[in-house]
Amino acid sequence: MSQSEVIRGGPPRPADEAMLSVRALAKTYNAGQRTERVAIADVSFDVAVGEFVCVVGPSGCGKTTLLRCLSGLLSPTSGEVRFEGTPLQAVPDRLSVVFQDYSRSLFPWLSVNRNVAVPLKVAGVEKRQREARIREVLQAVGLGDVGRSYPWQLSGGMQQRVAIARALAQKPDMLLMDEPFASVDAQTRFDLEDLILRVRRELGITVVLVTHDIDEAVYLADRVVVLGRAPSRVKEIVDVPLEHPRTQLGTRSSDAFGRLRRHLMELVTTA
Amino acid sequence: MTRIWRLWFFALVLVLWWVLSAGSRSTFFPPLQKIVTQLYELWIVGDARRELWSSLGNFAIGYPAAGLLGIGIGALLWKFHRVGHAVSPVLYFVYVIPTAAMLPAIIAVMGIGSPMKIAVIVLAAIWPTLLNTLDGMRGIDPVMLDTAKVMHMSAVRTVRTVVLPGAMPQIMAGLRNSLQISVIMMVVSELVASRSGIGFFILEAQQRFAITEMWTGIIVLAVVGSALTFLFIAVERVVLAWYLGARAVEQKG
Amino acid sequence: MRDTTWFKVTARVAVVLAVLAAWEYVSVSGALDPTSFPSMTATVAELGRQLQSADLWTAVGDTMGGWALGLLIGGSLAIAVGTLLGLNRFAYLSVIPVIEFLKTVPVIAILPLAIVVWGATLEMKVFLVAFGVFWPLTIQTIYGARAVDPVVRDTAVVLRLRGLRKFVVVTLPSAAPFIATGVRVAAAVGLILTIIAELIGGADGLGLSILTSVNAGPDRLPATYAFILVTGAAGVAVTSAFTQLEHRLLHWHESQRNDAAKGV
Repeated sequence: MSQSEVIRGGPPRPADEAMLSVRALAKTYNAGQRTERVAIADVSFDVAVGEFVCVVGPSGCGKTTLLRCLSGLLSPTSGEVRFEGTPLQAVPDRLSVVFQDYSRSLFPWLSVNRNVAVPLKVAGVEKRQREARIREVLQAVGLGDVGRSYPWQLSGGMQQRVAIARALAQKPDMLLMDEPFASVDAQTRFDLEDLILRVRRELGITVVLVTHDIDEAVYLADRVVVLGRAPSRVKEIVDVPLEHPRTQLGTRSSDAFGRLRRHLMELVTTA
Repeated sequence: MTRIWRLWFFALVLVLWWVLSAGSRSTFFPPLQKIVTQLYELWIVGDARRELWSSLGNFAIGYPAAGLLGIGIGALLWKFHRVGHAVSPVLYFVYVIPTAAMLPAIIAVMGIGSPMKIAVIVLAAIWPTLLNTLDGMRGIDPVMLDTAKVMHMSAVRTVRTVVLPGAMPQIMAGLRNSLQISVIMMVVSELVASRSGIGFFILEAQQRFAITEMWTGIIVLAVVGSALTFLFIAVERVVLAWYLGARAVEQKG
Repeated sequence: MRDTTWFKVTARVAVVLAVLAAWEYVSVSGALDPTSFPSMTATVAELGRQLQSADLWTAVGDTMGGWALGLLIGGSLAIAVGTLLGLNRFAYLSVIPVIEFLKTVPVIAILPLAIVVWGATLEMKVFLVAFGVFWPLTIQTIYGARAVDPVVRDTAVVLRLRGLRKFVVVTLPSAAPFIATGVRVAAAVGLILTIIAELIGGADGLGLSILTSVNAGPDRLPATYAFILVTGAAGVAVTSAFTQLEHRLLHWHESQRNDAAKGV
């Protein structure tokens, strides 16, 4: 039995059903006041079950606002987000979020084990199962014997792995990631990108990843949603027909990669 | 401990005091030897122990009460920040009035027993903890709170797992200030009006012009104050082990 | 729905009025014994009367005079000693245990001694304030003088800054945020100590006025509370003045000032 079947939970669902569907999403801050600011003008796209979708856009285009709307942390001014068919009210149970800055989202007062245990405790998983599950996810992200350490005793890359492990602990159907590799160095970044591709392959999980890095988006995604300058609108949704499994050296040096990259670059840089 | 050599100056000060005061005829500065002898007779084996326990008893109720109330009220003001904002001018005014100034009025209302002393300790010592709790909780990274939300934490669990530990470094700083104020107010309440406690002992010795006895009281008070502080620091090292560790890593890197 | 400034101000004013009304209610309704707790209106009326009397202003002058002198003496000694000690590693490592210990000693312990030596005088008051302010501020200054940014220190070496010039250009500005925080805290502590010295040691000032008005019996109670309010106002004045001053002097150093406040 493969590892994926052990870890993956939830009932299987038909492939044509959208995991996440975003319709005419708009968000305005301080509506009706002098400080009114439109962050998202009109964003629509779908994410199929098992798909890997990256959202890219120029800096300051409202990516973080979008992510907060997609996760249910922020309610949109108008439009609708459906997760597994139901309109979003709060953060859905089967959705996990990985934030950009591990040092701000991992709890520095808890050991790695206890950090990963938190969502399991919330879900009411009993102690023995919890411990087994913690070992499992730490292994899945390639972390061995660090459970007793504190996050701040680990390198940046390892900390982000802990954050990913914690997000996977509750066996989510979808992983939502906000520039998850922005605060680590280049080499670690490649490692983490490959890690997330492997995790996705093994667990069959759906991933939506927000980033400003075009190369990263092309390398990771099945489809890329390109946003224009603030206030955000979808400029184009680009298919990425690069074959799997992808490798940093092979994939990135292919002609197809170069063409996609250039196309995206043009979309992002032109106003 | 390789740092023990640093205590040489401390030892020197004590030795100098001992030697220089040895033949002292000054009314105000009796020989240290005489003070130490009396200190032993009064406070280690003698009746003055009663005063010590009386003071510490009030402290043992007043300080924890001030700490818990400070954390509790601080947390409520953080949670209901509009209320917190509306009451802040009144709170601020009560906070800046030196509690000692209210002491005679408190005595007029509550008499001179233990309840008055405890009330004085609580009223004065609550502020540092309250304000630091409020500050610490306000300073919690919003990403942490988002993390709690995406994990579906209940309100109680969020407070227990995220908010309290996150604000703990500042809460502890507040509790440390509260501790020092508690000790001071413990004595002040006894110095103004009382029939028991270290403060009463010192005042009474002073009025009889028993200067050596007064010195023993001062020294006991000094020792009690620093013993409590060092005890607190020991507890703090355990409670904030993660914070001190993280900070050390940060400073190295 | 967002709170407007107008709403916030109204809420604050409403709370202040509600507290004053509650005060009036508990004393007039007899919930609290009127012989030990006067009504709000009586207190405010008395406060109005006192504000026109020379006695109150003499008391305020005595209190603020003792406070200022104590703060000045204790503060300048602390800054001088602290910077000197901060210059030499051996010296400050040796002295810190003593100061750390003396810092934990409740200042109030020394008050009875000061009272025997000086009696109910200005000197007694000034001594207590200076003594209480000295230890924490010295420590703060030492840490400040030691806290020169390594890059700044290297720059000083490259620029060949030495001796007095290095002290003025590098050390003092680096220590300034620490000292400013220390002085602000010391100012508040100093005021509390002044009041305590007057209350217990019997030196002239607001503390003594409060005590004598209490001892004068129930008729004078409104005066007691009026004096307490004046003391509170003095606290507000001192705290906000020093906070303002700190902002004014160190606006260029905002971030480090916060570090200084938190770090030590």
